[in-house]
Order: sequence, then structure tokens, then C-alpha cells
Amino acid sequence: MNLKNISTSVPKKDHKGKVSGQLPYISDVKVENMVYGVLYRSPIAYGKIISIQLPTLPEGYEAVGAEHIPGPNYVKIIKEDQPIFANEWVNYIGEPILMLTGKDLDILYSLLNEVKVEFEEHQAIYTLDEAIKQKSVSSVLANYEFGESLENISAIEQGAHQIIEEEYDTGYQEHVYLEPQGMLAVYKDDEIIVQGSMQCLYYIKNALLSALACGDDEVRVVQSPTGGGFGGKEDYPSMMACHVAVAARAVKKSVMLVFDRSEDMLVTTKRHPAKLKYRTALDKEGNILSMCVDIFLDGGANVGLSSVVLQRALINSAGVYKIPHFHAKGYVLKTNTVPNGAFRGFGAPQSFAGIESHIGHLSKLAKIDPLEYKRKYLVKQGDPTITKGKFRDPILVEEMIEDVLNVSEYKKKKEDFQRLNQQNQRYKKGIGTSLFLHGCGFTGSGERDHIKATVKLVKSKDDQVSLKISNSDMGQGILTTLCKIVAKELDLPFEDILYPYPDTKEVPDSGPTVASRTTMIVGKLLERAAKKLKNQWQTGVEQEIVEHYVHREMIPWDEKTFTGDAYPAYSWGVNIVEVEVDTLTGNIKLEKVYGNYEVGKVIDERIMKGQIDGGLAQGLAYGYLEKMTSKQGRIQQKSISDYGPPTSLDVVSIESKVFDNPYADGPYGAKGAGELTLIGGAPAVQAAIEDALQTSFQQIPITPEVIIESLWMKEGEEG
Amino acid sequence: MVEKITAYRFERLDETLSQLNREDCAIIAGGTDVMVLHKSRRGVPPKIPKPIVFINHLSELKQVYQHHKDLHIGACCTYSELLENPLIPFALKNAIKTIAAPAIRNRGTLGGNICNASPAGDMLPLLYVYNAKLLLRSVNGNRMVTISDFIQGPRRVQRFHNEIVTEIILPSVLEDSHVVFEKVGNRNADSIAKVSFAGSIRISKDRIDDIRFAFGAVGPTIVRSVDIEKKLVGKTIPLDGADIAAIGSAFDKIIRPIDDQRSTAAYRKTVALHLLRYFLSMKQYQPN
Amino acid sequence: MIKFTLNGRTVETDAPATARLLDLLRDEFELIGTKEGCGEGECGACSVFVNNLLQNSCLIPIGSIAGADIQTIEGIIETEQFKILDESYSIAGGVQCGYCIPGMIMASAALLSKNPHPSEDEIREGISGNLCRCTGYNMIVEAINLAAKKGDGLW
Repeated sequence: MNLKNISTSVPKKDHKGKVSGQLPYISDVKVENMVYGVLYRSPIAYGKIISIQLPTLPEGYEAVGAEHIPGPNYVKIIKEDQPIFANEWVNYIGEPILMLTGKDLDILYSLLNEVKVEFEEHQAIYTLDEAIKQKSVSSVLANYEFGESLENISAIEQGAHQIIEEEYDTGYQEHVYLEPQGMLAVYKDDEIIVQGSMQCLYYIKNALLSALACGDDEVRVVQSPTGGGFGGKEDYPSMMACHVAVAARAVKKSVMLVFDRSEDMLVTTKRHPAKLKYRTALDKEGNILSMCVDIFLDGGANVGLSSVVLQRALINSAGVYKIPHFHAKGYVLKTNTVPNGAFRGFGAPQSFAGIESHIGHLSKLAKIDPLEYKRKYLVKQGDPTITKGKFRDPILVEEMIEDVLNVSEYKKKKEDFQRLNQQNQRYKKGIGTSLFLHGCGFTGSGERDHIKATVKLVKSKDDQVSLKISNSDMGQGILTTLCKIVAKELDLPFEDILYPYPDTKEVPDSGPTVASRTTMIVGKLLERAAKKLKNQWQTGVEQEIVEHYVHREMIPWDEKTFTGDAYPAYSWGVNIVEVEVDTLTGNIKLEKVYGNYEVGKVIDERIMKGQIDGGLAQGLAYGYLEKMTSKQGRIQQKSISDYGPPTSLDVVSIESKVFDNPYADGPYGAKGAGELTLIGGAPAVQAAIEDALQTSFQQIPITPEVIIESLWMKEGEEG
Repeated sequence: MVEKITAYRFERLDETLSQLNREDCAIIAGGTDVMVLHKSRRGVPPKIPKPIVFINHLSELKQVYQHHKDLHIGACCTYSELLENPLIPFALKNAIKTIAAPAIRNRGTLGGNICNASPAGDMLPLLYVYNAKLLLRSVNGNRMVTISDFIQGPRRVQRFHNEIVTEIILPSVLEDSHVVFEKVGNRNADSIAKVSFAGSIRISKDRIDDIRFAFGAVGPTIVRSVDIEKKLVGKTIPLDGADIAAIGSAFDKIIRPIDDQRSTAAYRKTVALHLLRYFLSMKQYQPN
Repeated sequence: MIKFTLNGRTVETDAPATARLLDLLRDEFELIGTKEGCGEGECGACSVFVNNLLQNSCLIPIGSIAGADIQTIEGIIETEQFKILDESYSIAGGVQCGYCIPGMIMASAALLSKNPHPSEDEIREGISGNLCRCTGYNMIVEAINLAAKKGDGLW
């Protein structure tokens, strides 16, 4: 089919294979001479390894540990602090110490039980609160500070009518991609091919080049169909890839490592728990005079991507508002718990939950409807960002708000609910809003300085065009959307454009599949490559076009001073959520959900709707449903039902609309969309619960336990 | 390392009972609890420490019938079968609908839910309220035991190894009573109860004739107190505040929940008492 | 030796009676459409039909299925019903990462064969044991609704 309007939906490229179940995910693959690997993991949170005693291994069974790593013993990500196999210190429960390999999983599991490791245990830090209390040089994994000088703020505070201080906590969030993590290293004499479930092929390749200390042509990374990522397959697969590749080298066999659901829940990265502190000076009318924000992220046992997550959290710390005299600082602190990492939104969901909550509470003090109060501070085109960058492009949030107010009948509902709540003692209804944005692409000059994306289009003799890029389709639909962009540009039928699962031997590094960058950045490069190919098109001739990243003209980002344009562009959103709270049980029922979004230009309406619904389901659940806790360094919820992601009976249909606002540096005007849709869920659900119960909360998730405790306290206060 | 596994699957109940008399076996009906309890890691069969007897195909264990006033339910009826059976009381069906999801309900059995004896077992609070009795059969004959005597603690039941629970008997389906069941889980499907409450009340001329309540997931077994219930018999409806408060504080003393990965002791207790008070504060009760 | 019918064919296996049907299907019969997402009956990715009833194959010890009729996604691919579901899922946009989808299709078929004209609530109930982390379910609900209309008279 030829595409008239880029936004019109087309059948997805991978539909047939997925709907029939015949597209093989990594756990569906078997290769010759393959053994399984299982990991011996630290049973303690912090300590020194004194000795390791292995059982007698039957023939065909081998142990692989730090001594088998040809290169340095760390997973190359940003800092060199994450061992591939811990051999000196262990820093969290579940940290891998060694791998056993062999044909039969049953035998491997029983051998694993016989491994004996002696530790010298040390006092661990288990919680973010402990880490904040003991904040020492060694426990700060990253920190940044920026904004108005504290002297100026102090002067403003002295003249203020009142100063409001709030502390806000956010919890873990677990990805629960439906396909657990899995990685296979295929052993060949001259090459190791690592394939599996992943978002970032070249992160893995670089980690392997380091771990195996080998030449560029000795390792190859191939993406398997990936059953959901959400950030959970951004950094973690690098470690698994090192495990299977080192093992394959050592035992000279192909090695498969696939996690159980419980193993996956206990040891893989999660969304950082956070503490956010707000200190805001107000005048008599409740207007904001100044604001200071402190953010603390629980990094877990090593830094991983946490410093970058903190950057995004800080950049979003003022939400969508222009706050006079704003100051922020943030820390990533080390705890002896499972390392935290990337999760859709990447620091922004914590910040938006916090700032939307705080601004909502300030509106109550000023006795103004929260949405009205928020609109007074909304940023406008041309306004500076809190990092002295600039909102360059038109901002449609006002129109989006007006529209969703009408569609949802917000004002009428507010009144209706007040009346209904007086009549019904058990069930209380509430309505809440959230306003949010998401910076598209890597923070700062990451795209220009670190990623330097390259894409390639290859045309075969029979005039079929293939995309050669290193980006993963993990369900978000880029096999389809990126092919559409190229098809439209070349004016070819969509079916003629191919996008095979990427293999680093075939594709250049177009960057990782993260940060809502794929459509906007990679898509734009492909659009340009396709334009070029069209100009040079020679029927029946093999042709190849390569395109490199070009940076948008903007205020240079300086990580040290934390100033400049943090992102080239922003996507925007507005949510309204209605809930009903059962005051006997604290249970929450979602009743209605509305979302208006602006992502530049939609590349495929149906895929966009999928991002909206899926992102919102996760974002809403982050606010009230999904609860993960850690006790003495051990994750408490190791099954899906104990953790509680939404089932089909927990979600309601979502009324959404997407506004057009094409962005010059995105393909057909497209910006990022994937992460944005999650961000507004939690703050809107909190606002709705607060509206229903006429009370304030200082944390998410607002579980029934939190609600019942709060109602009990309120009863006490009211005598 | 191929371990030898002994498993039996007889065509008839008497053969099954004979085998159980010869050998201590693990009984598997639907297996939805047993398979999780003994689960191995990925790719390896569960490790069940005894020989296995499969019973869920035995037609003798799948009958539902009325005998005099008693409703007899075959222990191996699946939840889905019970949902479709017109003899099963409406309140029990409501409780069944809160169990897991359709695929589990197609497999899990009522007898299995009882013998698994989880404090959070979804069917248990109502069965306590119904004064359910269990028919146990062995080669030596039949034995009847009340559900509250049968269940002794988490995963502990009073069953001899040569016995099978063959029927669940409801002496009366309380059709002249108002019966409620509330399950509080973390989400709307596939959840394990954090607290559950079952209550029944029969009114005769504005006075309470019979009243019962049971709480799930707030102690090692289902909590029910006939002594506390008796205090309300003969009282007029609506109950006055002092009576409700007295019942609340009586249960406050005997409900002792725990903190775990699903909830807190404080929450469980508070909500259990909320649901009790709500049930007692209703202005009128309709038999269902 | 345990004998049963698999996708219309009589098969037998000497795997132990406690082996999970899920492993047997995937390892011995190489039917990869039945996926493992949790191994505890909490995600529905391993859904199959046992005597025409939707069940989680991760919870089924094969000793209990002697003589039973087992159908996996591979066993229904050629049916009209599957074609309608396939098309409806495509039109409604019900497929993202795809890992839940074979199980979801089995649940959809089970629901529609029992209730050819389900309400939205009944659809949600029907797939409530099938976890999907990508779509937020609504487009799957829509797909099933569409399949009910397109396949009117077929179920």
C-alpha cells in the first residue's frame, strides 16, 4: 500500500508472527551444542568473599567465574563499578558470583545448592532514608546542583508571607515485561554471537568488547524479538550478555541464560525509589515567590545509569511551570539493594509525581482550583527553562486543557461528586488532573557527543530497501513506523521496505532504543537517507546510503553548571482521571481516564493509541496499584500477583486525542511519544484520590493501606 | 539424573482409596495450588516428595445433588462447573467469581481449595458461615467432619493419609438469610485476599434469628466465633451503636493478623472490622 | 507412558507424570506458541485448551491429562475463528510486544465460543487471567469485540 497520510495506520510488520505465536523469542531458540547457564547469587547484602567451594561437577558441567573473564571484570556502562562476576565484595542480595553450565537444568539447580561461599559480612545500608541520614562521600554516587543562588532565595524567603515545606516519597516500579530476560551466546571458533531480548545492541557490543578483550569482528550482537522492555532491557542485558559470552568462551559451547519470573523480579533493575523535598515561599495570596527542590534517588548497589536518571529527574523538577527563583539539587545514593536503572520516563515520573502533588497542595492553600492555579504558572513559547535553555517551539497545552475540560465535563463533575459524596458514606468519587512534558532524546549534548547516530539504507538489485539500524522493536512498533517513514519518502509500497531484526555485523550504531529518541532522531536520519536515495535512485542497481546525526542549533548543554538546552524538543500531555474510593477498604476503582497529547506529528495513529493506553496503564498503576518493597535488602514481592500490575479488570477505556504541532527536526514533524504517556498517570490519580477524600498525600503508590491509615488519622483529628 | 516418579491415576474411586491405604501419597486434584507450592525453577518439573495420585477425573467426585435439606458438592467439581450449576447458592457463586481468573477456575476444585488450607482461601469464609461439613472416605468407610475441625492451620488439615475428601456438604444453603462475601485483594483479578469477610443474617419479625460471620486472611485459620454471634441473637434491627461497638471490640481481641508482602497487620485488622461494622449497620437485610 | 490428543493427533510421551504440560509442549513437541511468562498461573501466556476449556499449561502435570484433548495455538491457526481473531487484533491494534498474544488469542477464542456476543465487562472478565504489559488491554478488548461482530454465527 502507498501512504497518503503518514498518520494513517497500516498493518504492523510483525503482526503475523506474533499473533500465531511462531515468531521465536530467545527462549524459543535451541542451537546445537547448547548448554544452560545458572547463576550463583550472593545471599547477603554486603560483605567480602572469603572463599568459594564448588561441589564435584559431573562431566559436561563447568563453573565459570571472574577468573574466566579475559578483560576487566566490570560491565561497561558508564562507570566501572559493576562486576560481571563479583569476586571480592558483594554489594546486594542476588549479585552474581559465578555461573554453572551444563545440559540439564535439574542437575544445575541441585549443584547450585551445593556451592558454598564463605563471606565476611559487613553492615549494609538497606534504605534510602538510612542512606540520606548517613550521607557520606562514599555513598553519593552522583550529584548536581543548579538554579538561583541560595542567598537570593534566602532573602526572598525572609520577606515571604509563609514558607511551605513538603517531603514526598515514590516507590519502586517493576517493569514486568511479559517476556522474562534471556540471552544466548552462540559459540563459534572465531566469533561469539550474542542474541536475546534487548533494547541496546551497541551497549551490549561495547560491554562484550571490553569483557572479552577481543577484536571488533569477534563478537556480534543480534536482537531477538523482544517481549517488552520499558527500560528494563536497556542496561541489564549487558550484564547477562557478558555472563553468557564469557561462559561460552570458557566452556567452548553455546550458553543460554533465561530467567524465571521470580528471579527476574528479585534481581533485575527497577525504577528508582525517590525522596523529593520542596521548600516554597508564598505571598499572602498564595503566589509562589521561590522554590527549592532536593531530590534523592536510591541508586541501589551501583551507579549504572543512575546519574543520567538523576539529570532527567532534576531537569523536570519544576514540571511544566515557570517558577520564579528556582533552585534544585539532587543526589543518587548507594544502598545495598538491587541496582536501579532505566524505566520508561527515566526519572521524570518521580519528579512529575512530586511537583504535581506539591503544586496541587499549594493551590489548596491559595483556595484556587488546582488546574486554575497550575495554569497561572504554565510555561509559554520563548520562556526560559530552569536550566537557562529555551522553550523554542509553540506550546499547545492551553488548547489541550480547554479541550479535555470540555470533553470530561470537569467542572460539572466536580460539583456532582461533592454532592454524591455527601450522600454516600462508603464510596467517594474524585477527579484530578496532571500536566506534563517529556524532553525528547538524550539529555543535553548526548546525541552529538556520545551517541553520534548513523543509519544506513541498503537497496538491493531487485529494488527492495532495507533499514540498517541498531534499534530494537520491543513492542512499541518501530518495525512499522520507521518503515512507513522510509516508504513515504521513497514513494514505495510499505510492504517493499524491509527491517530485519538488527545484527551488529550488518547495522551501524544508530544508538540505543531509549529516551523517546527512536522516531524523532533515528526516524529523521532515515527520512534524510531516504530523500537522498530517492534523488540517486537507479533501478536494478545495489545502492547504499549512510546518514549521520546533525545537532539542532541550541544553547550548548554544560553538565558541570547544569545549564543550557537539556533537550532539543518537548512533547506535552494533559490527563484527567476519575476515581471512586471505597472508604471501608481503601480500594480504588478507576472510572474514567482522559488524555490529550502533543507529540509533533503522529506517525501511526493506532500505534500512538497503543502507546497512550499502555503508558497510562503503567503510569496510573504506579500511582496506586503496583507496590514493591525491600526488607533487609531483599525484594518482598517475587510473584506477579503479589506485585499487582493491572489486569484487564483494573483498566478502563481511555478517551484520548493527539494534537498536531509538527517539529522541524523530526520526521514529518514527529517528536518522542513512548515515555510521555506514562508520566501523567500517577499525579492525576493522586489528585483524584485527594479530591475524593478531601485530604493530602505525600507519597505514591497511594495503596489501600496508605488510604486506611490516612482516614484513621483524620478520624482521630476530628475526634 | 532421572528421578523415578510414581504416579497413579485409577479409573475408579475405590481403586484410588485402596492405593491410598497401601501408601502415603500426595493427592492432586486440579493441581493449581500443589504445582505452585512444589514449583521448581524454570524448565524442571515440580518436586513432590511422595508418590502422586490424580483424582480430578473421577466422576464419583464430581456430583452435585440435594439430599433432604443438605446440598452435596463433589470435591473435584471445578469452580467453573459450580458457577454453572443451578443448585449452587448465589452467594457462593459470587465468591467463586473472585477467584483468580477463568483458566484457573476451569481447573481448580472446591475440595482442593479446602485441603490446601490457605488462610486466604477464597471459598473458606463462606463455607464456615454455611457450617459446611466434609465427607471423608477411606477403605474403612465414611467419616464426617466440620470444616472448622478439619482445617487446623496453614496447609494443615485433619485428613488421614488413606482418606479422600469426597464431598462438601452444606447443611442449609441459608436461603432465608441475607448472605454477603467481600474479598479485598490488591487488584480486580488474579489476586490473593488481603482480608475477606463473609456474613449471614436471618431476621424474623425485626429480630435476629441467626447471625454468623467469618474472616479470612487475618489469622492462621478462618476466624469465626459462635460465642460472639450468640450475643446478637434476639436483638432488633437496626442494631444500636453500642451493640455494634461491643461486637467490634470482641473481634478486635481475637483477630490477630500479620504483616507480609501483601499487606500489613494494621490494615487487615482495621478493614476486617470495617466490613463487620458495615454489615451490622445495615438498615435492612433481604434474603438472597 | 502417557497418551493424549494434541492438536488432533494422538501422541504419547514417557516424560514423568509431574512434568508440566508447558515444558512438554515446548521441549518435546516443539510448539513454541505456548509461552512461559510466570510459571505460576498468573500471566496466561501458556494458555491452552484442555477438553475445550482454557487452562494454564504451566500448572498441569501431564499425568493428569491422560486421554485428554489438548489444543495449542498451533492447533487452531488454520481455523476460521483464528483468521477472524488475527484480522481483528490487527485492525484494533491489539498486538505490541506479542509475548502475551498467543495466550490472549486462546482466551479470546475460549470466551467467544462460550459467549459469542460478550459485553465489554464480559470481555474484560474473559481475559482477566492474561496479563499484558504493553497495551493497557483496551485495544485487545476492542479486537475481541470486533471479532464477535465479524465472526457472527461462527462461534
